[in-house]
Amino acid sequence: MESPALSIPEAPSLVPPALRGILPLVIAIPTLALFHWSLTGSDFATYLLSVVGVNIILAVSLNIVNGMTGQFSIGHAGFMAVGAYIAGYTSLQLKEVALSFLPVAASDQVLFLLALLAGGAAAAACGFLVGLPSLRLRGDYLAIVTLGFGEIIRVFVQNTDAFGRALGLSGIPQYSSPGMVFFWVFLVVLAARRLAGSSHGRSLWAIREDEVAAEAMGVDTTGYKVRAFVFSSFFAGIAGGLFAHFVPIINPGSFTFVRSMEIVVMVVLGGLGSTTGAFVAAIFLTLLPEGMRSLFGALGTEGSLAQRVDQIRMPIYGLLLVVLMLSRPQGLFGTKEIWDVLPRWLPRKRRGLA
Amino acid sequence: MSANAQPVAPVAPATKSAALLRTDGVSIQFGGLKALTDFRLSIQQGDLQGLIGPNGAGKSTAFNVLTGVYQPSQGEVFVSGTKVNGRKPHQINLLGVARTFQNIRLFRALTALDNVKVACRAQTALHQSRMGVGAKLANAAHNYADWWKALLLTPSFQREERRLTAQAEHLLEVMGLSHRRDEEARNLPYGEQRRLEIARALGSQPRVLLLDEPAAGMNTREKADLMVLIRKLRDDFKLGVLVIEHDMKLVMGICEQITVLDHGETIARGAPAEVRSDRKVIEAYLGDSYLESHGGAA
Ligand SMILES: Nc1ncnc2c1ncn2[C@@H]1O[C@H](COP(=O)(O)OP(=O)(O)O)[C@@H](O)[C@H]1O
Ligand SMILES: [Mg+2]
Repeated sequence: MESPALSIPEAPSLVPPALRGILPLVIAIPTLALFHWSLTGSDFATYLLSVVGVNIILAVSLNIVNGMTGQFSIGHAGFMAVGAYIAGYTSLQLKEVALSFLPVAASDQVLFLLALLAGGAAAAACGFLVGLPSLRLRGDYLAIVTLGFGEIIRVFVQNTDAFGRALGLSGIPQYSSPGMVFFWVFLVVLAARRLAGSSHGRSLWAIREDEVAAEAMGVDTTGYKVRAFVFSSFFAGIAGGLFAHFVPIINPGSFTFVRSMEIVVMVVLGGLGSTTGAFVAAIFLTLLPEGMRSLFGALGTEGSLAQRVDQIRMPIYGLLLVVLMLSRPQGLFGTKEIWDVLPRWLPRKRRGLA
Repeated sequence: MSANAQPVAPVAPATKSAALLRTDGVSIQFGGLKALTDFRLSIQQGDLQGLIGPNGAGKSTAFNVLTGVYQPSQGEVFVSGTKVNGRKPHQINLLGVARTFQNIRLFRALTALDNVKVACRAQTALHQSRMGVGAKLANAAHNYADWWKALLLTPSFQREERRLTAQAEHLLEVMGLSHRRDEEARNLPYGEQRRLEIARALGSQPRVLLLDEPAAGMNTREKADLMVLIRKLRDDFKLGVLVIEHDMKLVMGICEQITVLDHGETIARGAPAEVRSDRKVIEAYLGDSYLESHGGAA
């Protein structure tokens, strides 16, 4: 086809194009450092914040597959486990190593980053192996295969000496910190938002909306689905790696099917397709049990109810999900982002998905 | 009324320009149902052909075979001389065949602009067809690297994004949809949704455009306008066009060659005047009772 010459308009912006890529980092890193220092001293707050951050990473990354691409993966804890065990194992092996040209703290963080990337890469590789055969097919195959994958990983770990069998891995150096966790939170949110607004994200939305039409318009639907899945698995692996470096011990019990469902509930609650929705829902659902614990504790119900919060958590999630499906099936924000649903007087982004 | 096979006019003989889209005796069955039997077709650049027939004749099925949605049980499909049996729909699209759908299949939650941009973008991506392992790996590496460009907002990525936007805006303008640019596709009126589907198909820069009942649900006035527009698209974009249309009068008005299907069989092919007076076509469309009461036609 010969279309007339097109004039390409420059998008007006306050930020020079060259800076647009790194500006968020320039702002985020000092902020996170401040945030990190303000926390030192409170062990429980540190722990809780780290868990919140890990859950945000998990929910935001799962949203790329279940929300943006419209697939249904229910084995995210499996990819988290791969990341946790590989990163944890790497750190254990490198425990005695120190990079002599760096101060000890910096050397530790470099090794930590290496371990995290190893965990993320292993999870991404698993994502590729799981995704390629199951995403070729339409429908519910992905759900079944990811469910199976999660269980296989758990059983495998349980029977592998190197990973400590049912006892788990302990003694992993505690390199992690809320600052580090939230640095990755920042990265995954940035990546998810940029993906959503890019031509690749647009193809993922198209697959979600109508796979047949997307394919007819030249979108390699299998390729895109697999890439989205690998991408999502990578961040699940990172989340696992972070987790392994701030809990005293990781064992197969941390990565059960229930854990996977928790993440699915977060994504559904936030709104399938909404990155900020997944973010908010992850915070809410992580703090909910703690809130209940302190509430029951304050009520003084002989402590037993407060201790049983972990057992009644899943039924409560289930109830929450049912109420949500009946009252607001699209989740908190639907496919929109938080700034699209804020009050009118706040500045908004343009309409549409991206 | 014997339906005895009168030989159907042969497909246009081999001409100077190779056919953009050609089928060779394509048949497809669903269980026991022969949805399409020995279907032959040849589309060149500049053609504006019609495909008509009663409901359930196999017209949409023919489109699905041409675009790789269904695999033919027999026969071959060629795009610009390349045999495409067994290829996926997106690969066939990349070879230059785009289509619209009878029951509109827009990306409903995406804006009009984004609908078109999806198709524009796909053309610039690399795809795996039949390649060696090495080429496949290089291809995959390229695709993953492409995602990183989007995440890092590299200048080349932004330039590409602006180019896609401009291209899509141009197509919206051609289809008279500029005022709907930022509206979600599902909120467009019916007629505009049909036009948006055409704009999206054009986004994939096709050489052959297949339109499945593009005027369905429109009023007479809109239909006439659309037909004029389709002819203009063929000329401006140098396309070969194949239109399925239920309204016989409409097709007769603009198409230069018409193929008539009934129960999957090609019962007539030729210029509008020939087809209109063909006894079997009248039978298929109006039933035997019409012929009896009017004492035959032709
Ligand atoms: N996927 C399918 N499975 C079974 N039967 C089909 C399928 N697609 C089409 N058919 C049948 O093939 C015949 C032709 O359908 P179609 O091509 O849609 O007709 P039309 O000429 O109205 O577009 C119909 O009888 C239809 O029921
Ligand atoms: Mg049809």
